[in-house]
Amino acid sequence: MKRAKSTARYIVGKLIGFAVTLFAVSLLIFFLERLSNVDPVAVILGGKRASDETIAALREKFGLNLPIWRQYFNWLGGLLRGDFGTDFRYQQPVWSLIAPRLGVTLPLIAAASVITVLISVPIGVVCAVKQGKAADAALSAFCLAAVSCPSFFVSMMAVAILSSVAPQISFTGTFSGFSGMMERLLIPAVCISLGMLALGARVIRSKMISELDSDYVLFARAGGLSERKVVFGKALRSCIIPYASVMSIQIGSLLVGAVAVEEVFSLQGLGSLLISSIQGSNYPVTQAITMITVFFFLLLTTAVDIIIAAVDPRVGKGDASYD
Amino acid sequence: MTEKESASRFFTPAVAVSAAVLVIIFAISVLAPIIAPYDPLETNLSATFEAPSGEHIFGTDQTGRDIFSRMLFGGRTTVLGAFGIVLFSMAVGIPMGLIAGYYGGLADRILMRITDIVISFPTLLLAFIFVGIFGRGLQNSVLAIGIVYVPMTARLTRSLTFAEKNKGYVEALKTAGCTNMRIMFLQILPNCLPTLSSQLTLDIGYAIIDLASMSFIGLGVKLPDCDWGAMLEESRNLIFTRPLSALAPGFAIAVTVIAINIFSDGVQRYIDPTKRKLKRSVLRHG
Repeated sequence: MKRAKSTARYIVGKLIGFAVTLFAVSLLIFFLERLSNVDPVAVILGGKRASDETIAALREKFGLNLPIWRQYFNWLGGLLRGDFGTDFRYQQPVWSLIAPRLGVTLPLIAAASVITVLISVPIGVVCAVKQGKAADAALSAFCLAAVSCPSFFVSMMAVAILSSVAPQISFTGTFSGFSGMMERLLIPAVCISLGMLALGARVIRSKMISELDSDYVLFARAGGLSERKVVFGKALRSCIIPYASVMSIQIGSLLVGAVAVEEVFSLQGLGSLLISSIQGSNYPVTQAITMITVFFFLLLTTAVDIIIAAVDPRVGKGDASYD
Repeated sequence: MTEKESASRFFTPAVAVSAAVLVIIFAISVLAPIIAPYDPLETNLSATFEAPSGEHIFGTDQTGRDIFSRMLFGGRTTVLGAFGIVLFSMAVGIPMGLIAGYYGGLADRILMRITDIVISFPTLLLAFIFVGIFGRGLQNSVLAIGIVYVPMTARLTRSLTFAEKNKGYVEALKTAGCTNMRIMFLQILPNCLPTLSSQLTLDIGYAIIDLASMSFIGLGVKLPDCDWGAMLEESRNLIFTRPLSALAPGFAIAVTVIAINIFSDGVQRYIDPTKRKLKRSVLRHG
């Protein structure tokens, strides 16, 4: 009874925290953008000259003549209805600019995540089981190198190597259909996943080593459980919790975290739209991408936190959020 | 077993090698203006895309600049920039963490909510936006990434302070009439420094990657400054013809960060083999 109550309170607290943080982020991003000394009307006009009447009409059209707090609440109200506003540069609905980019970045993230999970878990388990042996040393060295190389450097190396080994692979141009997409996205996805899977393998390795050294594993072994069942049935299960929380942060970051890799492979993803909107002071787009990215990130990390709290009775007792 | 053995000895072979590499890289960054054979900005349009030779060890780039000299100066910007980032995160994060951990209560709640908001921007998103508003350049990039690094430094300091403040010596100092400021900064902080130092060494490595990423996507340093990230970006058109010269700045980043990782692991083991460290990498993308 008591456990269910404290877990429920923890989950409700997490959900409130999710909403409050999202609100705080919307305030921060909106007013931060207003600190810039670039005049939105100049961005809308894109360098063209205009009469005072035209400028006044544009201010009216984009709601820039309203007091700043009204502008904020109009924007926030739009967000809640799923309306991201009109962008300054092309004067199109912001969502129509973002949607095609998500069509590239989301499959890329999905592919990178699948590759990461499929490879990092076996590497971590092998390292832990063969701790101190040659296999562990080699794989750990690989992981160290992989977490130390920036993903865009890995991508450039991949381009350099593949273009000489397999010149038929194209890294530019558009693609269509599912197989065309997979062909274009597979190599970038591998480049993104390399650092993540090394990190994941390290998490599994260190947790697994301490688990294999614990009393319950000793007990299971003494009871005659096969080593295979001890590793995969018992120890690996306790590795899932730290692994899931690390991975939720990693994968949740990829919406803009993949930007440098997208640049190298000239993929028109969300990241490159963000960079061009930042460089062009196109605030409605920057704000929309920020809110979507933060939402995605918080959604993933909060969901994992809640799932962990539901399965692990220790979570939610006391202030565990910062320690 | 091996971990315990090495705990008694700081300079294991791996740590010794990484320390030597770091000393060399640091010396090169500081001394770049003296040891660089050419001016990194001097163009020579009659000697573009030259292959490596005795005159130009790494060859020249598309405007005839000496790649080796540019590497040295790029390293200077990268390494000193990374130090700047970590110093900023210490200057803001350590006092925040000390106050939050020592006083607890409302101060703690407010400061930790602030870190919550900063952390809810994944990876470098907040730094991108900051640079977009206040302009590119080395100083702004260092400041922007520094802000992103503050929450982790603050939270680590907070949890270490939390552990210290209930110990006997703090109670004794309070009874003896020490001011809170004195206790926090002169008594508690020195006890947190070992763990902090290992974390902050690691952070320099991440700062190098993050600064390079910012420059690579065009939101970092701007001319005449140049770091390894910006160099990699510029050399993208060299990649098919002279991949090794084009990738040289990337290898420099990788070697530096690997050395920092090994060194930081060594520091960590030396200080306390049992204490788990808080991994910054957990909060950023790979």
